[in-house]
Amino acid sequence: MMNRTGTDIQIAICGSAGDGTIASGDILKRAAALMGFNVIAFDVYPPEIRGFGKCISRVRISSQQSYSLKQNSDVLISLNDTHAIPHVGEVRDFGAVIYDDNLIANVPEGGHISGHIHPAQIPYGFSIRQISEQATNSARSRNIVILGYLAELFDLPREHFRKIIRDKFATKPRAVTDDNIKAFNAGLLAGSGVFKLDDVVVQKVDAKGNGADAEMMTGNGAVARGFMEAGIQCYFGYPITPATSIMERLAVEMPPAGGKFLQTEDEISAIAAAIGAGYAGTRAATATSGPGLALMAEMLGLGVMAEVPVVVVVSQRGGPSTGLPTKTEQSDLNLAVFGGSGDAQRIVLAPTNVEGCYRCAGRAFEIAETYQTPVIVLIDLYLSNRYETVIPSAHKQFAAKPRVPLAPNGDGAFKRFELTENNISPRAIPGEEGLMHTVTGLEHNELGRPNDAIHMDMNTKRHEKLKPAVNFPGLTVSKRFGDEGKVKVGILGWGSTFGEILETMYEAQAEGISCAAMKVVMLSPLPVESIAAFFADCDEILVPEVNYEGQFANIVCGALGKPVSRLNQTNGAPMAVADILAEVRRLSGKKPKTGQSDTFTEAAL
Amino acid sequence: MNEHVEPVYLEEKLEEIRADGHQGYRSKSLPTWCPGCGYYSMAEGLTFALRRLEIAYKDVVVVSGIGCASRFPFFFKTYGFHTLHGRVLPVATGVKIANDALTVVAVGGDGDAFAIGGGHIPHAARRNIDMTYLVFDNGIYGLTKGQTSPTSAVGFKTSSTPYENSDVPLNPLMMLLSYGASWVGQAYAGHQHDLADMITQAMSHKGFSFLRILSPCVTFDKTDNTYANLNLHVHDLPQDHDTSNLMAAMQAASQTDKPALGVYFKDDRPTLAQAMNATATRASGTG
Repeated sequence: MMNRTGTDIQIAICGSAGDGTIASGDILKRAAALMGFNVIAFDVYPPEIRGFGKCISRVRISSQQSYSLKQNSDVLISLNDTHAIPHVGEVRDFGAVIYDDNLIANVPEGGHISGHIHPAQIPYGFSIRQISEQATNSARSRNIVILGYLAELFDLPREHFRKIIRDKFATKPRAVTDDNIKAFNAGLLAGSGVFKLDDVVVQKVDAKGNGADAEMMTGNGAVARGFMEAGIQCYFGYPITPATSIMERLAVEMPPAGGKFLQTEDEISAIAAAIGAGYAGTRAATATSGPGLALMAEMLGLGVMAEVPVVVVVSQRGGPSTGLPTKTEQSDLNLAVFGGSGDAQRIVLAPTNVEGCYRCAGRAFEIAETYQTPVIVLIDLYLSNRYETVIPSAHKQFAAKPRVPLAPNGDGAFKRFELTENNISPRAIPGEEGLMHTVTGLEHNELGRPNDAIHMDMNTKRHEKLKPAVNFPGLTVSKRFGDEGKVKVGILGWGSTFGEILETMYEAQAEGISCAAMKVVMLSPLPVESIAAFFADCDEILVPEVNYEGQFANIVCGALGKPVSRLNQTNGAPMAVADILAEVRRLSGKKPKTGQSDTFTEAAL
Repeated sequence: MNEHVEPVYLEEKLEEIRADGHQGYRSKSLPTWCPGCGYYSMAEGLTFALRRLEIAYKDVVVVSGIGCASRFPFFFKTYGFHTLHGRVLPVATGVKIANDALTVVAVGGDGDAFAIGGGHIPHAARRNIDMTYLVFDNGIYGLTKGQTSPTSAVGFKTSSTPYENSDVPLNPLMMLLSYGASWVGQAYAGHQHDLADMITQAMSHKGFSFLRILSPCVTFDKTDNTYANLNLHVHDLPQDHDTSNLMAAMQAASQTDKPALGVYFKDDRPTLAQAMNATATRASGTG
């Protein structure tokens, strides 16, 4: 593994639905953020609401910026051995496996986790259930007991945990908070006498670092924040995993802020209403996943044709069809970039981390208004649901520019689709005097009246007007990282996978491979010049994507006319750094390194 | 012998119309419908209603879907949005929610409304969005040259039902009444003055008003919904019809062989905009 200075611990908590696994991980990551650490966290849970599905909460705590989860966890905590046993392999050598060593029933052969711990791993068995029952008369506080144990094991500040526990249960009866604090304290006591992991550094973080200013946000939370700060006026949504929490957040925040929020009858209505509201001059948006975007495709075409600003957030999940609703994938790129009838180019932004979700969502309105067209913000489940610490200093930057009203012409001949120098036409909105006009999905002349003869000119206008978008101010359209100048291997990526790509690049550099990485945030129109410059510097180009067909690689190859090496996986999980690294080594001519098995990807299922 | 009538020249007539101001709501685009189409009556009716209600051009948005009826916005000197097949109501919903000061008129035919767009109607109705939905029902797909529609009669022969339509037609009035529309009425393109009055009444209603307008397709339907047939069967709702009685409205709407014209049902309840304001008040904790 790469050598980072300071703290870099990853903890995986694994249990069955109902064990409080996700809640436990939530307290851990919030406490860590409060301590001033950088945090990345991602939960995996089953599609069923109730039942016995497996839940895993992974939290990476570091004093330096990290870009993805680590391939190997430092600690695995089992709240349910059946589910946790397949994940023992993800714990690194000399890492800890924490489990309940009190047998409460006859366990079948191989059913206890202690029998699966590797010789190089360190077992930490203690009576989790018994301690929980002694502290609170209930086994339900096991998930808090383990946090106390963990705090003791790593000597993490206890008060931060207690504060988060109090905050989390603030709306519940006082006894609930008291019980959870008791459970936490009981866990502390249990962990106080045990052998500490001596190869783990827990560095006290400078309060001036992230400190208390850092906020824990999911990608979806960041999208909602970006929308709110950009002054979203109308939101129309329909529930779909994994985009729903954007809608739920806006349902809470928009009404008191004067925004109009409506849950529509389907995704077609959601984008139709957003287009209606955009046409009427408001900042309007919707959010969905791949199946919803498929339904919206025709409406996107209308938005392109009628030149209406509207923002659509798409959080991808496994497909096609209903696919894998609770698993991540990057396979809706084609649909986002090309979906719909005719030549209907639109703007597509794909942020690569939580902060990027915030920036792209906030900036999207301005871009949509500038180019009078739909803007898609393309994320995925991994980005939607994962937590990162975001420093809010960059916030408050999306204020709406005041509309400059046009002079009324009054003669009923307002050229809404005037062919201008920069291909952007004057735009009036209903209610403005003397500029009445009709917009349409039919091909139309400058006045907006149906006309077939002008089709080539209008197609040109609609495509040419988007070209300058790759230089849009205040937006990172593409960015190169790593070694400068000529390199052996260049990794080109987009979306959530770029976190793993960046981690891979740093590892490859540490191994002495000359390596660079480029993220492409604007996927349409494509920043061809920067990508071409990157290609020119790299002997080999690798494009890792969590889709089967290599959709981004296809677009890039088509645009540049040059071949690339592809790495495509669809396991329902983020791509493993080890897998990308193996490809980088192969392309660089280095022999594959034998080391720990690549269990993360498989286990994450 | 008829007494001699002075010929009226088109130029003079146009001057007269311009001076009258009546055509002020109409754009320079002339309608593209077939001569004799019922939609001319409806364009005239909406023109009348807008003038009667004295709504400024700039504050009107006419939204349509796809079909013969959906060319409507181009013929008005207001704001207009010609959208997609079946999607007039959700787009109109967005426009109205964005700016409640606008007068939103949604228009479309029976295919646009009840076939491809059928899923949107209940939701626009139950939310009581303050807009008027005019459905021009001719029981046929005219723009694609004569196929069966959801309101075509059983036994109707069209290019897509060459051996007769066997699907029972929908009853749009019953649908809208059960969907919770707060204003439901029916008019007939052959009665132009009554139609204009009904559009005015529909637009005066605060809430979702649905007006079904029976209209012959003179080109593709020579047998069923003709002026001759409709003239024989349409009649006014009884004078004593109680517009606040939902069951009475249902009863009247079930008489499909002899379509009654007039206001079937009217209910004053909060509009979506009012409901959203109430939500905002609750959300702010001041309510």
